[in-house]
Amino acid sequence: MPITSPSLPPSFADWRTAIERFVQVVPHTQGLGLEVLEVAPPVVRMRLPWSETLLGDPHRGLIHGGVLSMTLDTLCGASVLCGLPEPEVCPTLDLRVDHYRPALGGLAVYGEARVVRVTASMVFTEGTLWQKEGRPIARGIANFVRLGPRNTPPGFAAALFGETLVAQPGEQSAEEI
Amino acid sequence: MTQSSDARQWLERTRASGDLSELLDAIPYARHIGVSVAEDSQGLVFSLAPHAHNIGNILLPALHGGVVAAFMETAGTLELMLAARTARLPKAIDFSIDYLRTAQQVPTQARCTVVREGKRLANVRVVAWQHDEAQPVASARMHFLLAELPSADSVS
Repeated sequence: MPITSPSLPPSFADWRTAIERFVQVVPHTQGLGLEVLEVAPPVVRMRLPWSETLLGDPHRGLIHGGVLSMTLDTLCGASVLCGLPEPEVCPTLDLRVDHYRPALGGLAVYGEARVVRVTASMVFTEGTLWQKEGRPIARGIANFVRLGPRNTPPGFAAALFGETLVAQPGEQSAEEI
Repeated sequence: MTQSSDARQWLERTRASGDLSELLDAIPYARHIGVSVAEDSQGLVFSLAPHAHNIGNILLPALHGGVVAAFMETAGTLELMLAARTARLPKAIDFSIDYLRTAQQVPTQARCTVVREGKRLANVRVVAWQHDEAQPVASARMHFLLAELPSADSVS
């Protein structure tokens, strides 16, 4: 299904709306209030607002390392959507996170991810998180598997750019790749 | 009481009692995603509750891969806190996860192995499964820096 008219690729604003939809239908990130700041394919920027829920070390007042992994997975996954010729369902194959410095409680977490390389079967991405400009707290590298248009639910792109995404029982799973 | 001496007491108390549930309760994000711990003949078994807010893909539906990662990071960190020869605070340096199967919205379990505990560094492996331990949904490894605990009277 075409995203829009072939002569009119989605604008940055269209992409921002699409990625916002993508994040809003994810119950976990919606619950934490993850916001899409900017989408300039294949780069996506987001902001995770501070809340007490994010704490992993209440004694030292630090954000849970897993929050950073979760945010990087989401950011990199969102960059995949806008880094492909047409959005496809792409499960995460693996994710590596390097913790550069502690993530401090009380501050929002900002992040940026981009698609580095797309092949016939893979999408390679990288992302960075920070709280203060120029002081990265974590770097992530995530690789995604392309299931291809055949395994992408009909209307996936249309749902991102048009109507609301509706939950449907899917057939595809990682075992079938 | 300083924050550091607070952390010291917290860790030493947990290591003495071997009860991680109190510690888990004190970690807001672990509580949010629903991490709990039990023990069987082979050691600690961590569990992740299949909360609706842990879903990452509503089409499948499947748990958020990042939530599974956070669960396994929590498990690895707590296992090391308890299993380390001396009471030291593990600080995560890096974490790597391989997603092996779709994590469905059912309870997930994890078991950890401290592969190496050196003077300053530790390596921990974590395997997570759902229906069958022989069919893991994810495997992870992480490195930690083992920080000396500040003495009770030091200033944080």
